[in-house]
Amino acid sequence: MFDIVGVYKRLLTEDEDITMPVAAIEALILAIADTPSSTVSETLDLVGKLTAELKRAIPNSISLSAGTDLFQQYLISNLQRPSSGNVDFEQMRAHLVGNGKVFVERAKAARETIAGLGRHFVRDGNVILTNGGSRVVGSMLREAAESSNGNHRGSTRFKVIWVLSSNSVSAAEDESAANIAALRERDIPVATIPSTAVAYCMDQVTQCFVGAEGVVENGGIVSRMGTYQIGMLAKAANKPFYVVSESHKFVRLYPINQQDLGIEQNVVDFRTAKGSVKDEDDARVGSDEGVADVEAQEKAPLSTALDDAVDYTPPHLISGIITESGVLLPSAVSEELIKIWF
Amino acid sequence: MPAAIVGETPSLSTFLKSLKSTDVESSIDLFISLLKRRQIKNSRPCALATAQLLLRVVAATRIRDVQQLIDRISEVGRRLVAAQPREMAVGNIVRRILGVVREVAEEDERDGSLGSGRVSGAASPDPSEARRPFLTKTFSGMSPLGQSVTVPHDFHPRVKTPMIEYTSPPGFDASAEREVKRPVLPSSASYAGLPPVSSLLSLLEDPLARSPIPTPPPGSSPRIQPMGKITESKEKIDVKAEVIDGIKELLDELEVVDNQIAENALDHIHSNEIILTHTSSQTVQKFLMTAARKRKFTVVHAEAYPNNHDETHATIVNGGKKGTGDEEEVDERWKPLTSMGITVILIPDTAVFALMSRINKVILAPHSVLANGSLLAAAGASTIALAAKSHRVPVVVLSGVYKLSPIYPFDTHELIEYGDPGKVVSYEEGEFMDKVDVINPLYDWVDADCVDLYITNLGGCAPSFLYRIVADHYRTEDIDLGGKGSS
Repeated sequence: MFDIVGVYKRLLTEDEDITMPVAAIEALILAIADTPSSTVSETLDLVGKLTAELKRAIPNSISLSAGTDLFQQYLISNLQRPSSGNVDFEQMRAHLVGNGKVFVERAKAARETIAGLGRHFVRDGNVILTNGGSRVVGSMLREAAESSNGNHRGSTRFKVIWVLSSNSVSAAEDESAANIAALRERDIPVATIPSTAVAYCMDQVTQCFVGAEGVVENGGIVSRMGTYQIGMLAKAANKPFYVVSESHKFVRLYPINQQDLGIEQNVVDFRTAKGSVKDEDDARVGSDEGVADVEAQEKAPLSTALDDAVDYTPPHLISGIITESGVLLPSAVSEELIKIWF
Repeated sequence: MPAAIVGETPSLSTFLKSLKSTDVESSIDLFISLLKRRQIKNSRPCALATAQLLLRVVAATRIRDVQQLIDRISEVGRRLVAAQPREMAVGNIVRRILGVVREVAEEDERDGSLGSGRVSGAASPDPSEARRPFLTKTFSGMSPLGQSVTVPHDFHPRVKTPMIEYTSPPGFDASAEREVKRPVLPSSASYAGLPPVSSLLSLLEDPLARSPIPTPPPGSSPRIQPMGKITESKEKIDVKAEVIDGIKELLDELEVVDNQIAENALDHIHSNEIILTHTSSQTVQKFLMTAARKRKFTVVHAEAYPNNHDETHATIVNGGKKGTGDEEEVDERWKPLTSMGITVILIPDTAVFALMSRINKVILAPHSVLANGSLLAAAGASTIALAAKSHRVPVVVLSGVYKLSPIYPFDTHELIEYGDPGKVVSYEEGEFMDKVDVINPLYDWVDADCVDLYITNLGGCAPSFLYRIVADHYRTEDIDLGGKGSS
């Protein structure tokens, strides 16, 4: 059996520019290339199984599921469409297997496109708040810093407030550090603040940019912990709050609240002297019908690290989603998703 | 400066008159100078003049292929937009007309390819499948453009999508490529395109279905090239006549826009309501008139001092009359609301907040509406909208589709035009004028969340849905007209 999880993880570590959905797609393509299959349903079955396996193994599967869902829908719509008489299965398979790298390149190019698009948001004298850790935001700000002339010193003068989470060992923080260094290199003043200081800084800020792990159906986003509160504070201070995300991160999920993401995060961990009370809670919650449904699907392993935790930012806090296909309003997300699913 | 308008104050009507007698180039120059001197201003006159002018331009252009026509219109459009970037109606009309041309070209091509027995190959799904049919049915004839919104007009993709040279497998012949009516951009397309194939799926899109042409820079549109060639090779339908018909349809639309909007009046204005409005907008007046035929209500009218108060007073007292303002000359006449038994209360703009608690509904007329649902309207509109918001009074905006601009407001300050400060403090008060800066902004920017409903000539829609209407009316390749300063 193809080691989808291993391949997925390897892809992510080998290429630090790759995003989770794209890594998932690439892993699936490699799997198809690796596994001989001759019929449509065989392939779909394989992809379905591998996807489930991947989702089971990765604690936070929201982002990668955007990729796997997209891939599955692509297969279904192309292989099972009655009109596709002369695209036979072999051709499709050859196309997928042969062009795996192209998809990755396209996905990366999307980021550059977004950067080109997003830099128009950055104007002279702006103070931009970002929570970092997002490659798209990083490249957008770099683009803004060097926009409009060739010598890597842009004519746009802006400042950046970079929110760093307290624990600075994770990979995301390395990424932030690199981005901050790159901006400072380009004469852009960058201040780093802990996430507790966001409210304190908000009155100086002109606009906020955040990245996302997944953009959900209602236009909200799933993003690293702390994004939600930045969104709330930005809303309270009447500052525009933009999400920067490639459109392949759109995921078919409709969270109702923070606990409704379909993944388990051990963020709120009640403890007594006897230890965590989590188990009792589980027993109680398990009787609830709606939650039981989710649990039945797959029991994801607990992600204990707060660094990897995500929260959900509802759409009413979001001013716009900057994607490679333009600036979308949150309400436009559902339409994009509907297009691929129905 | 052409001599055609000597002896009269230049205005829309003199321009339209002179259009018949002067040649195209000087008409364009005349229009540009009129725009620059604000002798044609406000959305409707600008839209009308632009459409009429382009009608002349199209009629006078000798075209060999469609691409030439598109280039010509874009070139004229660029000059017009550059002359007065804040009159967005000009750019909107130019884009609509470009859309008409492209549509004609595509129809032409489609007919041609159907005629020769080429039906959509499997590699390119029929775009009509991908479109949402109810939209194309609901909207006007020139709008079936299944594309998405809001690429900033001056955006240039810095990074070209890596295009890999695909070699067609034997199963595909050239027709597959030909069949791509609107060539699909590479996935990371810099445009807001929702090409026939969904933009999300385009990440994995089969390269065979793609146009072989790499991402074109916006502005130049080599993508249309194949169509042009095909058009040439087939016996032509009369592209020019079709386009002229399209522009005439657009002119018709401009004419009936207010009536179409007014048709919704009875759904929104109920008996004994108190309605607040602002400025002497013809659209609003017609809307209220339509309601007044059936219902009795009260209108509170903010006077829009200092830029529009004279017109507002005249509208309240006399209704729409010839000569109320030079742009209004083409407007038809209408009776004042008071003659129909409606109580109209004129208030200064400063009293808006004080009275808002009694108001049932606010009706505004925008100068232009932007793709994200925000709008520009006469100064004072923002005050009204915010007062309405804090009193939870619904705000209804009446806007023809021609005011709807695909431009994304990156910087709202840039969009606001400043007028004659002499209207605020007269120049006689020289001593005072020396000591202070007096500014007179003509427009206000109103955020989308202050608006509850837009009523367009296509019906009512929420601000968050406007992006869809934008997508249906403008081609993404036309959003960037190359004009500077309008975003």
